[in-house]
Amino acid sequence: MKKALRELFSFKRGPKINGGYLLSLAISILLALLVGALIMAASGHDPIAGYSAMLTGALSSKRAIGDTLAKSATLCLTGLATAVAAQAGIFNVGGEGQLYFGAMASALLGAALTGAPAVLAVPLCLLAAMLAGGLWALIPAWLKVKLKVNEVITTIMMNSIAIYFCAYLSNGPLKTTERGIASGTAKIDTSFAFSRVINLSNLTTSIFLSVAIALMVWYLMKKSVTGYEMKLTGENERFAHYMGIPSAKLMLLGMVISGAICGLVGMFEVFGLHKRFIDSVSNEFYYDGMLVAMIMRYEPTGIILMSLFFGILKIGGTGMEKIGIPSETILIVQSIIIFFMAAERGISASVREKRVRRNARIKADAAKGGSEHA
Amino acid sequence: MREFLSVFSIGLFQNTLRTATPVVLAALGVLMTDHVGIMNIGMDGMMLCGAFFAVLGSCYLGGWLGGLVLALAVGLLLGAFFGLFVVKFKSDEYIIGVALNIFAGGLTVFLLRTIFGVAGAYSGTDALPIFGLPKINIPLIENIPILSDLLSGNTLLVYVSWILVALSYVLIYKTPLGFWLRAAGEHPESLRAAGKSPEKMKYLASILCGLFSGLAGAHLSLGYLTMFTENMSASRGFIAVACVIFGASNPPRVFLAALLFGFIDALGLRVQSFNVSSNLTSLAPYLVTVIMMVWVVWRGERKKKRLAR
Repeated sequence: MKKALRELFSFKRGPKINGGYLLSLAISILLALLVGALIMAASGHDPIAGYSAMLTGALSSKRAIGDTLAKSATLCLTGLATAVAAQAGIFNVGGEGQLYFGAMASALLGAALTGAPAVLAVPLCLLAAMLAGGLWALIPAWLKVKLKVNEVITTIMMNSIAIYFCAYLSNGPLKTTERGIASGTAKIDTSFAFSRVINLSNLTTSIFLSVAIALMVWYLMKKSVTGYEMKLTGENERFAHYMGIPSAKLMLLGMVISGAICGLVGMFEVFGLHKRFIDSVSNEFYYDGMLVAMIMRYEPTGIILMSLFFGILKIGGTGMEKIGIPSETILIVQSIIIFFMAAERGISASVREKRVRRNARIKADAAKGGSEHA
Repeated sequence: MREFLSVFSIGLFQNTLRTATPVVLAALGVLMTDHVGIMNIGMDGMMLCGAFFAVLGSCYLGGWLGGLVLALAVGLLLGAFFGLFVVKFKSDEYIIGVALNIFAGGLTVFLLRTIFGVAGAYSGTDALPIFGLPKINIPLIENIPILSDLLSGNTLLVYVSWILVALSYVLIYKTPLGFWLRAAGEHPESLRAAGKSPEKMKYLASILCGLFSGLAGAHLSLGYLTMFTENMSASRGFIAVACVIFGASNPPRVFLAALLFGFIDALGLRVQSFNVSSNLTSLAPYLVTVIMMVWVVWRGERKKKRLAR
């Protein structure tokens, strides 16, 4: 019976992203870019030059395209990490900390296993990163499920704790003994490192893993029973519970997967670019991805597609720097997209409500008029 | 041992007050929205904007008063903006809060670079100095040995924050307006039946919250330090939210929670002189906040269980 019900429900997955939504997204993006242009103009820069610098910065050379793809992969993974937890009803704001611990754990193991065959060592390091990120995410998830402690605050606090703690380790007890390195852990065996796909760019072979992970997460969220049960849990935990769905376990699972993905992002940074843990391993990468996920309403398909667009914006920002426009303009534009979309949603909802009320009033008047005549 | 005890000096308690004040002010703002049933996690970004515009006003509007006024004005705007989305557009308060934080981070750095032409931090130049908030000596206490060190000679907003704690308590628990505010959060329909609009109360709380964020920011950049640095709110807005939860939205209790945070922060600064890594001492306030959150919920659960028995 339960299974039959579940199957029945699974066919009624209403599309969260429909034509109206895409239209509002397009308009919001255009308006936000317009606001960005106004900001540039107001600060004495030519907006057209600014945006063309953005495009050339992101797409004009092989190296730029490589950087953009690498950035998009990071955005995609961190965005999916936000979404998979959100699907189970947990708002994970702590991905930054999970990323740091993933980076730290894999860097330490990568250095410790020096000399081991890469076929063996790299999977172990992947596992270590997932474990570190996942366990760090498990703490706030467990607190939320068991004690109903607000996960937003705890995850944000745990970001700071993780970042400072890793900084302590990489500058203190675990600092490399190599000469001339100011801070950072010991170097990993270079045979473990991801090699570059395009010379000089940040695009490494980790991109293939990223794509595989993205597809797996997409499948989990959209096609699997577990994903569907997570969705029910996220929408209405009590209902899910009475349906016999292990909602508490699914919330924990969603968060652990989210943390594991973030840990992997950290590992990719270390094994792709830095070859050791450094304090600046991430520059708020998780928040950028979270923003994409929020804009796409935690819908995995949308996140995967839109991360390319936001990758262009992000890398384009460094192109804008070259002609003197602060790259923070992009950050402002991104947050304004969210405001516009929220405003559009609110306004159209209130218009709909008004129409319903007016129709009800007309009907009521008609009914009253009818009864008076009778 | 004696060396260790020397940590607990007057300076420690002075620093406690200094570091607690921005959290106190931010927490008072968060508390207002909490009473009408909104959790404002955008406080951190609002504070950051307050801090930046306080410096801007102090530089360009002739002194600390100009800074304070500009910070309050921006706070008012941000509060109204937050209210517009959460109340009128019925947006998810977490999403708007997060978006506000990211927006504030981008905007302040953008303006810092465009207006002051520096990246990272601005601490004033000879041509364009930042005027900090005045320090105030209290006439009678000034002459009493230990008390004078503690209670006298603090910057303006430290005293203002104490007064505001008392005023907030009176406003929320002793006036009709406070009653309506609380009703808007707990029983909006009853409030509506009584002829008052819960929406208006929510707007009012959001705007009050914005004003408090302006004060908190101004204290951060004109009182606590006399400079603006990138992301200088350093998650204090979130710690304020935790203090509100810890203090059950009751101003004096929230004040004590913020003092506890300030104490840990100040203790960390003192302990650094004993060769403890600054990275470790920096994480202490966040760790304590998590423990505080867990403890308050755990205690609540236990109380509930005892009542059920």
